[in-house]
Amino acid sequence: MATAQAEKKQTTSTMVQAVRSALIDEMSRDEDVVLLGEDIGIRGGVFLVTEGLIDQFGKDRVIDTPLAELGIIGAAVGMSLYGLKPVAEIQFIDFLFPGFDMLVSEAAKMRYRSAGEFACPMVVRSPYGGGVRGGGYHSQSPEAYFVSTPGLKVVAPSNPYDAKGLLIASIRDPDPVVFMEPKKIYRAVKNEVPEGAYEVPLGKAAVTREGKHVSLISFGAMVHVGLEAAELVKKDGVEVEVIDLRTLQPYDMDAIAKTVAKTGHVVLLQEAPTIGGFMGEIAAHIAEHHIGYLEGPLVRVGGWDTPFPYALEKAYMPNAERVKRAIQKTLNY
Amino acid sequence: MTVTPFTDTPIKVLEYDGTPGPDVDSLGLSKDEFLSIYRWLVYARAVDDRGYILVRQGRSGFYAQIAGQEASQIGSALPLERTDYLFGDHRSQGSMLVKGLRAAEWFAHQLGRMLDPSKGRLMPHGPGRKDLRIVPPSSTVGNQITEAVGTAMAQKIKKTKEMTICYFGDGATSEGDFHVGMNFAAVYGSPIILFCQNNQYAISVRLDEQTHTKTIAEKAKAYGMEGYLVDGNDVLAVYAVTKHCADKARRGDGPSLIEAYTYRYGPHSSADDDTRYRPKGELEMWRNERDPITRFRRFLEKRKLWDDAKEQKLQAECKAEVAAALEEAEKSPAPEPITVLDDAYEKLTPQLEWERKELAAELGIN
Repeated sequence: MATAQAEKKQTTSTMVQAVRSALIDEMSRDEDVVLLGEDIGIRGGVFLVTEGLIDQFGKDRVIDTPLAELGIIGAAVGMSLYGLKPVAEIQFIDFLFPGFDMLVSEAAKMRYRSAGEFACPMVVRSPYGGGVRGGGYHSQSPEAYFVSTPGLKVVAPSNPYDAKGLLIASIRDPDPVVFMEPKKIYRAVKNEVPEGAYEVPLGKAAVTREGKHVSLISFGAMVHVGLEAAELVKKDGVEVEVIDLRTLQPYDMDAIAKTVAKTGHVVLLQEAPTIGGFMGEIAAHIAEHHIGYLEGPLVRVGGWDTPFPYALEKAYMPNAERVKRAIQKTLNY
Repeated sequence: MTVTPFTDTPIKVLEYDGTPGPDVDSLGLSKDEFLSIYRWLVYARAVDDRGYILVRQGRSGFYAQIAGQEASQIGSALPLERTDYLFGDHRSQGSMLVKGLRAAEWFAHQLGRMLDPSKGRLMPHGPGRKDLRIVPPSSTVGNQITEAVGTAMAQKIKKTKEMTICYFGDGATSEGDFHVGMNFAAVYGSPIILFCQNNQYAISVRLDEQTHTKTIAEKAKAYGMEGYLVDGNDVLAVYAVTKHCADKARRGDGPSLIEAYTYRYGPHSSADDDTRYRPKGELEMWRNERDPITRFRRFLEKRKLWDDAKEQKLQAECKAEVAAALEEAEKSPAPEPITVLDDAYEKLTPQLEWERKELAAELGIN
């Protein structure tokens, strides 16, 4: 009974705590789950996500690696082939590129190239996105590269509850998952997170706010910018429905169909540069399948099409005012 | 025999003319084992010859021959247990055959048939088979190295007595993967053999244009592991050195780098023209004076284990086996077009379900 009560217990958590809680639950449940990355052991990770885990699980399961992202991803691929479930941490997603080849050429293609014999059930988790004065190499949102690589799944939570449930689902998933953690809200957003393991299924979006005039589709930290914009236009009587995709590959086509049919106006919000971005895919999908419902243009809001700036990150990143103008643009068409 | 790291000249057991050195009897190989090794060499070349003909006939799109490198391939794969992992590159079919891949599967791989363990998904440079623990190679040079190290790390974490062997060419030693893989392998004391088949050319680029060290083996020193330079055309030497390193790995004494100094007779692949870059007479010298199969045959003859009649019989047997394997491969059907959507993920994603409906309609199936 004590255990049952403990499982129901809710704790107000940050995303960092929620991610750590997911790792502890899965590592306790399954001894094949191992962590590897730079500084994740004694240091506990640069954002302290893995703090204390080396003491709890030992250095065979919380592996501090040499400074080489290529090695981290490559080793994770080899471990997953063997039957371990590696969860690799890349300190900032901007530094994943030295390991990009291993992710897209190996992890993503292993199942296909072996006709289903071998697979890489692994997770690469990494903080992404701007808003913490990280500059150009600590702030990028490179999800489009991963989404357009068949074989990978891509997840980006917007709150601690989802982060824990999505990470557990990702660890249990049979395919390789890129798990993008929005570092701007690592500690800034809190909600109730249950103790004990639970899954938030991959591929299912959430309706974060109901509305009937405009659908705002986003994910990660930008969901909160969308919610802020929804408050701004509420004063003018505009009710915005905010859809949090949660998983970008595969994305939730049913949720998109439902909200587009409901509102007929769509704003697509991402932090990454707009050209070639993931929201272009969502726009194309809606145009191809649901154009009959549209009463205004599909409007994208994203970062400018430049590298990410340090001093001018506020000018760069989408904000509620910019989203508000996009909402007005589609409504006033 | 004593296997010494960091020698300046390649470790060898047999002279080029097959004369055995003093170590040959300390290998502990029986007469039957010698004959079995010879059979593997002859069989691998028979498969290889037939594979290349398939390209020349226009029935297969790509082929990288192993001719000239049979001793490296066979000698290094024989010490492996079934439970050991093998990560190959685009020129590993000899080792894969020893590990258990059937020639019929290899030919089906070349022809893109269902009997191909990769079901026609790969340019024909090597399929994988999970039950044999052969991981299918990718085309990106060197990628298998850090992967293989990860598997060896997992073997150590799980406290098995297994080990991993990873094959690559001299060109791959210029890739970051090699250096990162060597470093990881050494830092974690992983049970792995990093096996470089130095055939002296990366497509057209000679070794002295590839690296500024005299040998590949000496690079091991910088990472804190032992490196062995072995005569890659001496099957007994390759066997001895690989066995030594495999035993070391199983004992928990960590990784090794082996450089097998050898030579490929063919072009890099069927898409390459090697007459543009080989110096005159070099190929002929290797083929006529250092051929790994002739060299071992001469040894068997000196031991009175072999003669022309046995040779003729073996050649005929291998030819017949290869013909039967090819026939089996040819009987295997081509993959159904609808299978193009399988295996990107464990299950079709909703997006792929849509695409499946579209393709099924196009194909007129359900």
